[in-house]
Amino acid sequence: MIRVKHPQDFWAGILFLVVGGLAVWFGRVYQFGTATKMGPGYMPTVLSWIMVLLGLFLAGRGLLESGPGIERSLIRPQVFIIGAIVIFGLLIERVGLAPAVVVATIVASLASKEMRWKETLILAVGLAILCAVLFVKLLGQPLNIFAWGA
Amino acid sequence: MDILQNLGTGFAVSVTPLNLLFCLFGCLIGTLIGVLPGIGPIATIAMLLPVTFSLSPLGALIMLAGIYYGAQYGGSTTAVLVNLPGESSSVVTCIEGYRMAQRGRAGSALAVAAVGSFFAGCVGTVLIAAFAPILAKFAEEFRSPEYFSLMVFGLVAAVVLAHGSVIKAVAMIVLGLLIGLVGTDTQSGVARFTFGIPELYDGVDFVPVAMGLFGFAEIMGNLDRHGDQPRSTAKIATLWPTRAEIRRAIPAVLRGTAIGSFLGILPGGGAVLASFAAYTMEKKVSRFRNEFGTGAIEGVAGPESANNAGAQTSFIPLLTLGIPSTPVMALMMGAMTIQGIAPGTAIITERPELFWGMITSMWVGNLMLVIINLPLIGIWVSLLKVPYRILFPCILVFCCVGAYSINNSTFLIMMMAGFAVLGYAFAKLACEGAPFLLGFVLGPLMEENLRRSMVLSFGDPTIFLQRPISLCILLLALGIVALIVIPQFRETREEAFQE
Repeated sequence: MIRVKHPQDFWAGILFLVVGGLAVWFGRVYQFGTATKMGPGYMPTVLSWIMVLLGLFLAGRGLLESGPGIERSLIRPQVFIIGAIVIFGLLIERVGLAPAVVVATIVASLASKEMRWKETLILAVGLAILCAVLFVKLLGQPLNIFAWGA
Repeated sequence: MDILQNLGTGFAVSVTPLNLLFCLFGCLIGTLIGVLPGIGPIATIAMLLPVTFSLSPLGALIMLAGIYYGAQYGGSTTAVLVNLPGESSSVVTCIEGYRMAQRGRAGSALAVAAVGSFFAGCVGTVLIAAFAPILAKFAEEFRSPEYFSLMVFGLVAAVVLAHGSVIKAVAMIVLGLLIGLVGTDTQSGVARFTFGIPELYDGVDFVPVAMGLFGFAEIMGNLDRHGDQPRSTAKIATLWPTRAEIRRAIPAVLRGTAIGSFLGILPGGGAVLASFAAYTMEKKVSRFRNEFGTGAIEGVAGPESANNAGAQTSFIPLLTLGIPSTPVMALMMGAMTIQGIAPGTAIITERPELFWGMITSMWVGNLMLVIINLPLIGIWVSLLKVPYRILFPCILVFCCVGAYSINNSTFLIMMMAGFAVLGYAFAKLACEGAPFLLGFVLGPLMEENLRRSMVLSFGDPTIFLQRPISLCILLLALGIVALIVIPQFRETREEAFQE
């Protein structure tokens, strides 16, 4: 049974290995070219292979040398922060800027266990007004403040 | 020297009411985020990049630069009064600054920090004004091989000067370079790694990457570690230092400014490294060594001057060579590109009003910051009462709206979410984001210059060694690599980053 002695190094290595491997795979279709006339695939292929090697090295070292563990991770902040971004992305075109900001603020606030509803609602409305004034009125961005059914 | 005339050109454009307003605005935001722990200049500048689209190029750059050096001033306030670094470049200021506050000398520490920063800022500005044109003139001789070697040097320095594992830093750079190559290849027209997504044809957009990796990853990390903690703020009795304190602070300010200016120019250096180095130096050379740890004023004056000097001089490589040396400079480069300005040697000759306007605005901004920071300190302290549970949703919303407004694309928002996850994973795996961002910005430039060099030399890689300037730069890079191998330096490096 192999034991991971340095989880930070090991998993970082695996991450680089996977990304490098994917880049090698998807990059194989681009023409490599020669040193004098480098094709579009030259740099990506070289870099991808370097990454695969670095990943292997790191993962290997993570098995041999011991080191600190990975800092504890809470599920709640991740789910709500990423959730808020994604929901904002899904809503902005469907309902407009102001409602999307309100929803994103509320979802994001849930990431903190100290969240208070009254405070959050005031903040959400305040931010919606601020964004509408700043981005649409002052900076003239072509965004719809409300876009019901548009 | 027509430096006076040049400065005149600069002041003519930088003290117009509108540009003064941008400068003030940048300095205020910089101080604000400097004071608030949990949000740094990288995330803020990324957040405000979309806002600058509609500004004039000079106004945009003045404002963004103000945020960066303004943060250096603001960071010391939190460090001294609350014993929390408001900014990563103020980490060492906590050590002596907070002890001084406990002895009732908080006001004096803040005054010395602000005035030292102002002095350092002035010197930094003068250094840019004096050396940037010379360096730019010199760099006019540079061709593709020189630029390629210079970028190699920059990336090597970024690895050596970054904290943590060297291998991981290299891997992060390679990953950054690779992601920088996504998009249409300029020479062959082939779309690389775009998976048919139209938003990727022009390359991965810079703003969502910076926001995701730095802004959001930071928020999630902060929420993991702690919620809001009650903060006790030290009281300020008087802002006036005693005569003895002034006498002790002056040499420290001078030393800090010198070391900060030098380290700021180096790639990968910038404000953070400058403050660490200055503290280490003060601890070694000060006549009051034995007072370190109990509130020695040198330990505040040195690092605070150094971080501001470093913040100023780190503009030199970007403005003269077009090569960003720190993540913040990478963002400044992004801002320039968005405004249609190609950073590099041509700026000084082709857009003198832009170059000199920006430099003179830095001096004006430093002057504003002394005023913003000292008499108005009470306001900034009261801002520390804003709880994080209110702060982070604001950051999140601004990033989302900003990223969307780049070109009204939902894809960019989703990509930002992806980079947020990636940034969070990197933070947990102790991989630094800074080398990634540098690689990301330099990726396309490196590829282009490598290709051109190879065409020049008919595929002979020794071209980088045959050209004298290129060879010198590569030897310098090799010298830096040798530093890591020398055990003594390695120990100091680890020590410096542990404190």
